[in-house]
Amino acid sequence: MNLQNLSIKGKLILITMLTSSAALVLSSASFLIYDLISFRHLLTLDLMTQAQIIGYNSAAAMAFRDEAAATATLSALTAKEDIVAAVLYSPDGTIFAHYFPNANAHPSTLPGRSQENGYRFESGYLEVFRDVTLNGERVGTLFLQSDQRQWSERARRYSAIVGIFVLFSGLFALLVSSQLQRLISRPILHLENAMRMVSTNKNYEVRATRFYSDEIGRLINGFNTMLSEIQQRDTALQRANDELKTRTRELEGEIIHRKQTQEELLKAKHAAEDASRAKSAFLANMSHELRTPLNAIIGYSEMLEEETRDSGKLENQQDLQKIQSAGKHLLSLINDVLDLSKIEAGKMGLHLETFDVSLMVEEMVTTLQPAIAKNANNVRVRLADDLGMMRADATKVRQILFNLMSNACKFTDHGTIALDVSQSAMEGQEWIRFRVKDTGIGISAKQQEKLFQEFSQADATISRKYGGTGLGLAISYRFVQMMKGRISVESQPGQGSTFTVYLPAQVTLDTTETAQLEGTGGAPAASAQRKAELDTILVIDDDPAVRDLMSRFLSKLGFRAVAAAGGEEGLRLAREVNPLVITLDVIMPECDGWDVLRKLKSDPSLAQIPVIMVTVVDNQAMGFDLGASNYLIKPVDRDRLAMLIEKHRVARSSTLTESKGPSRPAATREGRPIDMEVSRRS
Amino acid sequence: MPIIVPRDKAIMRVLRPIIAMGICLSLALGASAQTLDSSDSSEYLIKAGFIYNFAKLVGWPQGAFAQPDSPIVIGILGTDPFGGIIDRILADKQIDARRFVIKRLKWGMDLKGCDILFIGSSEAAHLEEVIHALKGLPILTIGETPGFARRGCIINLVVEDNKVRFEVNLDAAKQADLNISSRLLALARIIPQSAAETR
Repeated sequence: MNLQNLSIKGKLILITMLTSSAALVLSSASFLIYDLISFRHLLTLDLMTQAQIIGYNSAAAMAFRDEAAATATLSALTAKEDIVAAVLYSPDGTIFAHYFPNANAHPSTLPGRSQENGYRFESGYLEVFRDVTLNGERVGTLFLQSDQRQWSERARRYSAIVGIFVLFSGLFALLVSSQLQRLISRPILHLENAMRMVSTNKNYEVRATRFYSDEIGRLINGFNTMLSEIQQRDTALQRANDELKTRTRELEGEIIHRKQTQEELLKAKHAAEDASRAKSAFLANMSHELRTPLNAIIGYSEMLEEETRDSGKLENQQDLQKIQSAGKHLLSLINDVLDLSKIEAGKMGLHLETFDVSLMVEEMVTTLQPAIAKNANNVRVRLADDLGMMRADATKVRQILFNLMSNACKFTDHGTIALDVSQSAMEGQEWIRFRVKDTGIGISAKQQEKLFQEFSQADATISRKYGGTGLGLAISYRFVQMMKGRISVESQPGQGSTFTVYLPAQVTLDTTETAQLEGTGGAPAASAQRKAELDTILVIDDDPAVRDLMSRFLSKLGFRAVAAAGGEEGLRLAREVNPLVITLDVIMPECDGWDVLRKLKSDPSLAQIPVIMVTVVDNQAMGFDLGASNYLIKPVDRDRLAMLIEKHRVARSSTLTESKGPSRPAATREGRPIDMEVSRRS
Repeated sequence: MPIIVPRDKAIMRVLRPIIAMGICLSLALGASAQTLDSSDSSEYLIKAGFIYNFAKLVGWPQGAFAQPDSPIVIGILGTDPFGGIIDRILADKQIDARRFVIKRLKWGMDLKGCDILFIGSSEAAHLEEVIHALKGLPILTIGETPGFARRGCIINLVVEDNKVRFEVNLDAAKQADLNISSRLLALARIIPQSAAETR
């Protein structure tokens, strides 16, 4: 039932209607009941009076047993329509006379015998018994039965009247209440309307009108007060909001300004980066451009020197040696400068590999031999027994040692140079210690301060007297730092110097650097499909000067050189001649060295041929990744090249003769001519 | 002579030949009829009750009774048909404060002390003389012989259809200064005074 959801209007009307109707019906009903009761009483009295009269009139007839007369007396009741039965009983209780106005009257309902005086209501009928007396003596009993027709008729009529009255008064109440309910509903509806306007339009200016000063009036007052408060707050909020907006705009302006500044900074940064890139590109170009002619100068001067020596023209030999020496000096200078610039640009990476420290030291000392001989120094190498394998960038370690040793040789004349290598545990870590001790001129404390800085030799005169760029120690210092090691010096002028280097036995890369492939030193052929031409070497280079020099050099070593000017030709020749070793340049038109290397290694028939990269491009990592066995940077250190080729030849011949021998990978090293006379191999 | 007033009743139609035969028989027997009547005690029980009821519904004139509790004297003239019945019935009855006194009388005796005089059939021969003797006196005369009322008896009991009815001679009642209740009259057959017998 949705009586609760009825509108206030409806509820008010309903309440009024229900109340008034209930009151009306109740009062009407009680009135009706009262009236009917009193009317019944009246009827009873009337019937009793009737009985008295009839009894009086029939007393004589009863006394004289005149049935006809008694019946006639009873017949007088014809006028009384409500009487349905009238009976006279004799004193002995038998029926004396009776009267039934209706033919279909029911004597069966009559009491069989007379009863006590009085009246009673019996199944819808009013019955009266009355003694009939004659001069105070009872001569019989009269019985009258009434169907109360008047009463029920009256009840029916009154009920109809009450019904109509209630209906009309209900209609009247409806009319009145539907008018009067407005007293209450109108202010409420008005308030509701105002509320809706506020909530839908967000218009807080709306005010509800107060009609009367009753509770609703107070409610409306409260509502208005509330509204004005809300409006006030809304205004304050709006003001705050506006202020915020203004501030935001200011902030936005500031942000834009800062963004502009940032963009300018970014532009400046980009410009700086561009400049840096341009510088790097310039340096790379320069290295290429400088090394290519140097290559030719050094190569041809060596050839000429050999030829002059062979022909005995000694007067020219000295000059040629000077050209050669100057060229090599220039080359080392360029290399040092390039190394340093690479370090500074952060482009110098570590190429970690596991190698035998003793072997590496021995090899390094061998290449140092000319420098040692120059100042007639005595070199003493002491290796600890427990030295094992070390994991580090072998090339850089070798270069550090080489720098230290060559410095020691340079600044010591007819003295002793001692190299101590040992292993020790410090700070929970295994360290390899290299100590180079000489008996040379020594370094003053002041000079020591800037010993590891670039371009700083102990004295300006030193470079004139001893030569060198002064970059060797700086580079060594950087390399040690890269491998998380330490380098220190102890020295006094005239007392000789001691350089000590600590390097971790297991150098680790920073996590950000990607792990680089270990140099495997080139996989020796597991099984040669066909017999390698053990004396044939394939030279792939687009530079005719290089091809010419290499061919001549290799011929001298007793090899047959086959040259190819491009990648495709090189691949074709490799399949044709099945060479012992291939030397490969990187920068070539059309098909570059990387491509050729990739193709060589992906061809099963060629994959086992060792490839020695001979190039000006300094990217060993790339070379080793693609499967190169060795990596030489132009201008080529001939001794090193000769040694590598010899190694490969021995490895190949052993593989071929003993099917597969236990051969350790050739120790790789960036062949780099240093300031020393290259000992010639005949 | 007893006369039969037939009533329009079904039973009467059946009973009529029997009654007629009975009447013929009684006519034939003559004097013996009295004996038969008197032996029918129920008839006289009713008649005694009637006499009592008449006493209730008849008003005697002022001064008829010496005192309020003076008894109502009932005289039975001639042959007594009641036997002891009337004495028994009225023994403990009283109207207002008056009791009943029954007297057996013979023709020639003083009749003036009575308030009610029952004149038996035996007096039919000199009824007029009895009536005359009582003229002007407040005495209710009651007969039980057909024609008595016409001859001056105030009330005459008749048997019709085996029921006791009565006739009233209003002139006689008026002469006797008796006030007969209308309720009684309503039940009576009113008989006019016969001119011949009003002498």
